[in-house]
Amino acid sequence: MCLVDMDIGLRNLDILMGLENRVVYNLVDVVEERCKLRQALVKDKRMPNLSLLPAAQTRDKTAVNADQMKKLCEELKSMFDFVLVDSPAGIESGFQNAIAGAEEAIVITTPEMSAVRDADRIIGLLEAQKDQITQYRLVLNRLRPKMVANSDMMGVEDVLEILSVKLLGVVPEDEEIIISTNKGEPVSGTDNTRSGLAFRNIARRLRGEEVPFMDLDVKNDTWVTRIVNFFNPVRV
Amino acid sequence: MSKIAIISQPDQGVLIDVGGCASMQEAISHLSSTLQVSSQFWKGVNVALNLGDLELTSAQVAHILALAKGVGVYPYQVFAQRPLTRGALLENGVILGDGTPMTLPAMTIKVPENPEIEEDWEDESVNMSDDEPGVSIFYEPSENQLITDDVTEHQTEDQADQPDGPIDFEPKAPKAPKAAKTEKTPAPSEKKEEVKGPVQAGVMYLRQTLRSGQTVSHQGHMVIIGDVNPGAEVVAEGDITVWGALRGIARAGVGGNNDAEIRALRLQPIQIRIGDAFARSPDRNRLHYDVHNGPETARIVDGKIKVFKFSPQ
Repeated sequence: MCLVDMDIGLRNLDILMGLENRVVYNLVDVVEERCKLRQALVKDKRMPNLSLLPAAQTRDKTAVNADQMKKLCEELKSMFDFVLVDSPAGIESGFQNAIAGAEEAIVITTPEMSAVRDADRIIGLLEAQKDQITQYRLVLNRLRPKMVANSDMMGVEDVLEILSVKLLGVVPEDEEIIISTNKGEPVSGTDNTRSGLAFRNIARRLRGEEVPFMDLDVKNDTWVTRIVNFFNPVRV
Repeated sequence: MSKIAIISQPDQGVLIDVGGCASMQEAISHLSSTLQVSSQFWKGVNVALNLGDLELTSAQVAHILALAKGVGVYPYQVFAQRPLTRGALLENGVILGDGTPMTLPAMTIKVPENPEIEEDWEDESVNMSDDEPGVSIFYEPSENQLITDDVTEHQTEDQADQPDGPIDFEPKAPKAPKAAKTEKTPAPSEKKEEVKGPVQAGVMYLRQTLRSGQTVSHQGHMVIIGDVNPGAEVVAEGDITVWGALRGIARAGVGGNNDAEIRALRLQPIQIRIGDAFARSPDRNRLHYDVHNGPETARIVDGKIKVFKFSPQ
């Protein structure tokens, strides 16, 4: 499995994964043939099967073009089972480069009006690339079930109503995320966090497993269910 | 290729190269952001300008010159390839450059292949003595040690010494005192003489904090008065001295000078490379940058980078 940070100039993924101090070469070095692809890949500290191709920090989005990205993704495809490209925000060249080599897309949005509007735009752009991108699914991030219950936030159904797209996962808002990013240890590797579980469920769905969605309804979050869940090892 | 590059060499002053820009508008926007570092910055610096392939009219050339004049830059010669641009330059009374503009010298830097970086704590920083009472309550000797990697299996890679500037390329401050040029580079393995470390192109002195994404490189020693933030990069053929916190990436002794040193008031880099050696910071809690050990120096001892409490020798 390989992660590709395409946010050239605003490199972040290495920090979140705690690999910042191991980055020697980056994506632009590979594209400009200053190093081999294998040299630029940074192996994860915890999972030996996971590699990161970091973005360049001292360059900008114009440093690569779509053809180069296609070529790069082809090469990565032959080396890994999964290649996950982290697209920069926006719909400009950075985004176009990021999707250049993609076969599937995961659209991530928060349940806010402005974010959903942008996600809709992105989905429109992805639909225009139908021949290349065969499937796109949605991850709803930072959902606050309590606010949804009070009608202060859009719920999962509201967002799906607008976007009419297949749902891949819902990640609840979680303070653990801040802790884990500060530590440089992805939350998906933690056992006892709701967000970590949500991310692991997403990963399993990406692999084709049928995983039921987490119950984020506050009405079901009573002390009885908590106790039941406590004794139930397979929490969903 | 970068849109704009600043190149300095001893005796030749500074060349501002906008040849990488596609259009006049782009060139002007990059040029103006580059020039306006500060009005004092360019004072007394010999500046040449390379317009590369740009096709400019007389009015456009006048615009660029006016822009330069506004910050006190009077190019003593201007390089251009297109006849139209050359004609326009002559109309504006500018001296056309002779021959080819100076280019970046190729440099070689050795770094280990990434996947071979392994957890290898280096616990032998000799002079990290914490026996002075009351030095600092934050003092933790393990905190700032660097992890060095064996440098036996390096692959040599060509890497331009000027890691192609970002578009907001302010912080190049090349000043090359002519006197320093007389000292020639001895081979790194030679025994040390009175003057420590080779000096190739004088000292570059930069009074500015380098932020993420900014890079500075120089062929001689480098002094930075300010911080080097995470994500910024400093490259020098000689020593690197940071009067502030070094938190980004520093490469001293590029080109194989293993005697080069890196020193900072707070030495908290992500990675440092000296000559052929490579070291990265331990995986630590990154939230607390205010924990530090005071001034420290990194140098190569027995092929590995080690960190010492700073002491003038």
